[in-house]
Amino acid sequence: MASDASLPSSLADPRGKRMSLKNLGRQGFGRLGWWGLLAPAMALYALVFFMPLGVLVGESVHPSGAPQLSLANYAAFFTDGVTFSIFARTVRLAFFVTLTCLVFGYPLALFMRRAGPVLRLVALTIVVSPLLTSVIVRNVAWLLVLGREGMVNTLLRQAGLIDAPLPLLYNTFGVVVGVTHVYLAFLVLPVFSSLLAIDPSVEQAASSLGASRFTVFRKVTVPLSLPGVIAGSTLVFVLTMGVYLTPVIMGGSFVTTLPMVMTDLVRTQFDWSRAAAFAIVLLAFIAIVMVASSRAERRIERMRGEL
Amino acid sequence: MSENRIGLLVGTIAVTVMVFLILPQLILLVQSFTAEDYLSFPPKHFGLRWYAFIFGDETWRRALSTSLLIAVLVTPLAVIIGTAAAIGLDRGPMRMRKAMRTALVSPMVLPHVVLGMAIYRVFLPLRFDDTLAGFMVAHLVLCVPYVIVTVGASLQAMDRSLEQAAMSLGASLPVALWRVVLPLVRPGVIAGAVFAFITSFDEFIVTYFLASRQTTAPIQIFSSLSYQLEPSIAAVSGLTLVVTAALCGLLILRGSMAGTTQMA
Repeated sequence: MASDASLPSSLADPRGKRMSLKNLGRQGFGRLGWWGLLAPAMALYALVFFMPLGVLVGESVHPSGAPQLSLANYAAFFTDGVTFSIFARTVRLAFFVTLTCLVFGYPLALFMRRAGPVLRLVALTIVVSPLLTSVIVRNVAWLLVLGREGMVNTLLRQAGLIDAPLPLLYNTFGVVVGVTHVYLAFLVLPVFSSLLAIDPSVEQAASSLGASRFTVFRKVTVPLSLPGVIAGSTLVFVLTMGVYLTPVIMGGSFVTTLPMVMTDLVRTQFDWSRAAAFAIVLLAFIAIVMVASSRAERRIERMRGEL
Repeated sequence: MSENRIGLLVGTIAVTVMVFLILPQLILLVQSFTAEDYLSFPPKHFGLRWYAFIFGDETWRRALSTSLLIAVLVTPLAVIIGTAAAIGLDRGPMRMRKAMRTALVSPMVLPHVVLGMAIYRVFLPLRFDDTLAGFMVAHLVLCVPYVIVTVGASLQAMDRSLEQAAMSLGASLPVALWRVVLPLVRPGVIAGAVFAFITSFDEFIVTYFLASRQTTAPIQIFSSLSYQLEPSIAAVSGLTLVVTAALCGLLILRGSMAGTTQMA
């Protein structure tokens, strides 16, 4: 920015010295100004974001308010017999959701790439609209669709296909449906933008050299869209690891996730320090996943650079 | 032959997924206009009975107006703080820009359960937890990242030479920002404001930790769900849906959707 700002005025004024002094003053003021622009956000984050997270870390190593440091809460995560298996189940749920999002989101992104401008805008609106609808409202909507007396069961019964209502809620299926509905856009949007970035002439070249359309898709389109796939899958996976509301509403008490355990520890057992330790483990896991995924993305970019 | 079949498969999946994405909300909207005592599919009589009920009911009216009040107060604050930060990030000193940006958008990916716990832990001893001001401050930190992202996207799409032209014609930096940059990034600002409003209005988990006596609309829906899925819940949800849909319609009409693709 500094060079941008000084360039026109130094061009306009050949006398140089006095002008550059004046510029220096303006730049100095400018830098203060930039920090001033960032200051309100930084103050807010310091007080309501970083400081609370710091307090949480401190809390996690002081079991039940004891003054000495202890990693007992972290040990409990792996050894108390319950928490680790719930964590593993949360990972499994996140995996299912990510896979479902990929299977259904990738074709949608392909469709959006090929669609004309109007259809594309309609599709984009539909994809983004759930993001803008409250999670709890969407969950209530799914209760109406999948419940015992819900739309699906009523229609199937009226069609004579089933006698007893299907168990579509309060199990893993219901939770996967609900969470996929919430997070699908986070996969479709990055995949769509990396598909858009593919130069069509590359695909045309492949097909003019005799590749069938499916081969072009498999050997050209899919590899070139991998950065978007990785980014989107990571986002969905990580977001699902932290999901609370949807499993509570659509899973009943039959699906437990790590965030549910943490919330319960705080709200009903007041065991802050154990909940804090679990939260830190969850954050560490998420950080590892995100670092690994950005490494993979960078490696792909590098391979492309060598080609 | 097989090429057409692949295209058909992709089209079929795409249309199915789009139906999957909007159908539940449509069903909810239809059901919320039931005139019966219970929710059933399809409703036999339609009417505004349950909408009238929620506006007459003290609990729902209070929850809805609390949510509305918080969102109306949080939105302009988030827009001011977020827009300033986005300009500072975009035009400020190069060093640390990337680290700073990551820090400023991190509330979007951090599990909100963790953030809710942490904020509750800090607010509790200050007796700031069950207050509207406490809700607002917590919502603010969730809303600002959206504004930073949407305004940031607009800033990147902006033609820098316009700003430089203004400055070479003698405008000072603050004047150039106010008179040239700000009007040009207005789509991003509007998109950010809509996202901020919706985020605050719909926020559940952080408020859930903080709230004990105070309630907002999402909290009230959640606690009513533990009894029975009543038509009043469908009506409140329907109302929320209509409000957000109207705001999104505004976004699309103003052509500010471009910012949303940057979101993920």
